Amino acid sequence: MMFDQIPTAFLFFAGAIALLGLPQGRMRSALLLIVPIIAAWQVWGLQVGSTYTVPFFDFELDLIRVDKLSRIFGLIFCLAAFLGNLFAWHLRDTVQQVAALLYAGSAIGAVFAGDLITLFFYWEGTAIASVFLIWARRTEGAFHTGMRYLIIQIASGVILLAGVALYYRDTGSIAFESMTLGSIGTWLIFLSFGIKAAFPLLHNWLQDSYPAATITGTVILSAFTTKLAIYALARGFAGTEILIYIGVVMTLFPIFFAEIENDLRRVLAYSLNNQLGFMVVGIGIGTEMAINGTASHAFAHILYKALLFMSVGAVMFRTGTSKASELGGLYRTMPKTAMFCLVGAASISAFPLFSGFVTKSIILDEAASGHMYIVWLALVFASAGVLSHSGIKIPFFMFFAHDSGLRPKEPPTHMLLAMGITAALCIAIGVYPAPLYALLPYPVDFTPYTTGHVIGQLQLLLFALFAFAILMRTGIHPPEIRAVNLDTDWSYRWLLPRIIRKVASLVAAIWNGILAFLDTRLKNIISGLYHSHGPEGRMARVWPTGAMVIWISVLLGATLIVSFFE
Amino acid sequence: MSEHETDPKKLPALGRMLLWVDKPGSANKIFWALAVVCGLLFLADFTYEKHSYFDIEHLPGFYGIYGFVMFTGLILAAKGLRVLIKRNEDFYGDKAVDSEDYPEAGLEKVDHDV
Repeated sequence: MMFDQIPTAFLFFAGAIALLGLPQGRMRSALLLIVPIIAAWQVWGLQVGSTYTVPFFDFELDLIRVDKLSRIFGLIFCLAAFLGNLFAWHLRDTVQQVAALLYAGSAIGAVFAGDLITLFFYWEGTAIASVFLIWARRTEGAFHTGMRYLIIQIASGVILLAGVALYYRDTGSIAFESMTLGSIGTWLIFLSFGIKAAFPLLHNWLQDSYPAATITGTVILSAFTTKLAIYALARGFAGTEILIYIGVVMTLFPIFFAEIENDLRRVLAYSLNNQLGFMVVGIGIGTEMAINGTASHAFAHILYKALLFMSVGAVMFRTGTSKASELGGLYRTMPKTAMFCLVGAASISAFPLFSGFVTKSIILDEAASGHMYIVWLALVFASAGVLSHSGIKIPFFMFFAHDSGLRPKEPPTHMLLAMGITAALCIAIGVYPAPLYALLPYPVDFTPYTTGHVIGQLQLLLFALFAFAILMRTGIHPPEIRAVNLDTDWSYRWLLPRIIRKVASLVAAIWNGILAFLDTRLKNIISGLYHSHGPEGRMARVWPTGAMVIWISVLLGATLIVSFFE
Repeated sequence: MSEHETDPKKLPALGRMLLWVDKPGSANKIFWALAVVCGLLFLADFTYEKHSYFDIEHLPGFYGIYGFVMFTGLILAAKGLRVLIKRNEDFYGDKAVDSEDYPEAGLEKVDHDV
């Protein structure tokens, strides 16, 4: 078997097995870095169009389907695995190390899956492997949160399987190609992708679980699951109009929640949701340039989102908290982390010369050139919203604002290195986007740096920043306070258990009532009979007084007969 | 905040440079600098020919005005939203991580001066 015929996912799985043979320490940490490098090298060398199929019952499973769309996602996943593992170099936790490899491997396997059955296996693989990054926190709260996460992720897989079965019955094919919504099968597949992509109302698992994972686990979680779903949507449902509207709602509603959220890792989870919205809009538009926009935005997004999660993680590693209300003024002693965080903030806010600018503007430009006026206005608003929570809130309330009095040291070198490399990539993509554009699925005909683009974007961002400054000076800006905010997960985390409890107690009451009723009826019947037929009963009174004499004579008669025959 | 005072000489070089932002009057300077930059960006709109898809983009300073208004609206709306959905940190009890501390075993708290 040639090297390029080994499915990339298997490299990660082999790495996970090899890991167990190594002693805990630097050897393992090194292996965790080497595996993604080898995988990236392999993906880089994969020829577009190559496939590798294996028989599976009556099906042919296509484990490697290489085209430019799967390759760019495969590459960024390898890169994300490398950066995440570098950030976690200090970790000596076998559970998280194995989970990180299996999780990245499953995500990459899913990206290269050419058929829906292979996709399903890897889809569930990402769910099962990733939950250990949450459970590895090893607290009561993390256990319950992980359970909620797992149930939803597995449900997505089960719905996918049901959809694939129906799709196969309808079309006789399991190939993972572009689909049209219509049959129940395709709707189920769409729903399954939508759960993982955190569509509105299906989104809560994201904001619930990512802040509950370990410090390093969240960095790794942020890269794979949702972007795998974005890839799957781009592959299966490009040009599906409903995605435009779903995407617009996704860009809008999280910015309100992010604005008032106190836990900065949850702010980032809302912000992640908002960024996915831009990608979903691109998929919904579905033109070649829009898909380019989605793929490039996913690429850039994985990097700057990882960078932001790393900077919050680094602060958490040194202070024990990621709550904005407890932080502030950390620039004094953590200036490098602050700088890296600002690079991430500028990238996600799409400041010119940073990565978000050269990728997000493709999607906005496609919406505008398609004359989708409302969609375009909503996306521009959402872009200002990104600035409010990820661009301003994260760095400002963590490193500046009021002095919390905390004087933590900079994080360890490997964390600074991971953040430094990621920050450098964010700037490199923003300054010189050509190499990224060359990786995109379709030929790129787009110039991000026109006078109009740059001035328009700077106006949008700096006027918004000015609005923030005014709101802060006037004290109108909402303060950071210790609290949680309800989202729709309230329905299944608070309301549903209470409804179930009420129903359960009602059913129990009815059951007990019926039992008690039957019990008293039975007792009444027995005591009634006893009352009437018992020794003291009315019926007993009318028994002939000679009854005893009769029975004695019967007994004597019987004795007589028996003795007669002997 | 005198108990927070740290000897500036002990701070990392980059952190020392950034101390400027906390000097009295610096916040004012930043604010007015921002105002000037915004003004210049507004004027920049008259210096080039716009190639745009929508008429509204031709409005001078459209992006600036839209950004300013929508950002302010966003903050006010979020503030209103908070009134409705804010709950105590332990609202979900031990079923969530919000009210529990991050396990010390996963942390490495080190202060700068140590």
